[in-house]
Amino acid sequence: MLVRFWGTRGSLPVAAKANAVRNKIAAALVAASGRTFADEGAAREFLESELDFAAAHTYGGATSCVEVDVGQGPFIVCDMGSGLRELGLDSLRRCTQEGHAREWHFFLSHLHWDHIMGFPFFVPAFVPGSKIVIHSGHADAEEALRRQQEEISFPVPFDYLRAEIEFRTLEPGREYEIGAVTVSLIEQHHSHSSYGFRFRDAAGKVAIYSTDSEHKIDRMEGEADVVAFFADADLVVCDTMYSLADSVSMKEDWGHSSNIVAVDLCHEARARRLALFHHEPTYSDADIARMHHETIRYEELTRGAVALEVLCAYDGLCVEV
Amino acid sequence: MSGSTLGWTTESRGGARIVAPAGRVDEATATEFTERLREAAAAGGGTLVLDLAGIAYMSSRGLRALTLAQRKGSEAGTTIVLARPNPTMREILAISRYDMVFKVAETIEDALA
Repeated sequence: MLVRFWGTRGSLPVAAKANAVRNKIAAALVAASGRTFADEGAAREFLESELDFAAAHTYGGATSCVEVDVGQGPFIVCDMGSGLRELGLDSLRRCTQEGHAREWHFFLSHLHWDHIMGFPFFVPAFVPGSKIVIHSGHADAEEALRRQQEEISFPVPFDYLRAEIEFRTLEPGREYEIGAVTVSLIEQHHSHSSYGFRFRDAAGKVAIYSTDSEHKIDRMEGEADVVAFFADADLVVCDTMYSLADSVSMKEDWGHSSNIVAVDLCHEARARRLALFHHEPTYSDADIARMHHETIRYEELTRGAVALEVLCAYDGLCVEV
Repeated sequence: MSGSTLGWTTESRGGARIVAPAGRVDEATATEFTERLREAAAAGGGTLVLDLAGIAYMSSRGLRALTLAQRKGSEAGTTIVLARPNPTMREILAISRYDMVFKVAETIEDALA
């Protein structure tokens, strides 16, 4: 199983501005300290080996879109944030070059704008012969997608799309065989509700997609259900938008969780890897890197018998599960 | 649940109350910690010093219990001050940003000041 991150930012797409790129280049030149490089490959090797991630890269700014690739069956895609535009083009390339079936199955955490805004730019939806199945815990998913393509919001109406498009409402507590994966879902606390998804492939590998989920301070006993849903997962993609203090004070009821709670839930669930996800849009690359390092440290401080590897998702990351 | 429990002592000093739990505040002990601390916060106003010297570490459940107790305390006119965290607890308070929402004192005397 491969998990590809096409969009990892929360709430609103963002992009690194000119001065951010300039500052990274300036810092890299200072770090190189007069060294010369034979070619760009040698320069890239220097960047990879001697600078930390945030100094030489960016976490990106596309909103939520994650692909679960089990090597067979239709494309499996979690959410339709702005990262979906690039996935659409790359998946069409794979259809053309690798003979992949022209079938996409989406799993929507919820219907808020940042999680569906990529669909009007999803090129396969415009291509005759494409088959698109949109799975959601929400019965009003079709209404949400049609509404964002009404003329007041977007020039191309939903009915203009040439793909065969089907909506399916899934229920928590059941297991579904979809393509080459077994899928189940859990309802989460978020405005208008959200759903987390658990994907298991034929080899038994498990990936969890759990974003836009607030673990309420006055319902901590209910977290046993979340722990059971995460149980023994190989990878948990988790909403870690805020610090714990923010999530229980000024940003309480904003529908998001913290890096600290994510680690505790994964520890309790005996999960193997956690991917920090749905990054706060006001965070710079340095802010996200700091949050990543602090989360690794918290995991070390609170670790029980089994270590949890803490990854930090970025646009373009591909994780082999 | 492992069934483990926390140590818990209380005293009054200088017009303030000092509670001193001992052990690890994790999923096994968080409920007990939450209930005892909320009870202490609700019982009378003034300053309630939470002496952390005996706390090995605290998971998010324990930290969130601090917030629940703070809410309960604000209804009763109680101000909670954290005191004497060990290096691990000081790191956890910083990572969670709880050191920005609670006063954290190095000594009991500083907490009472």
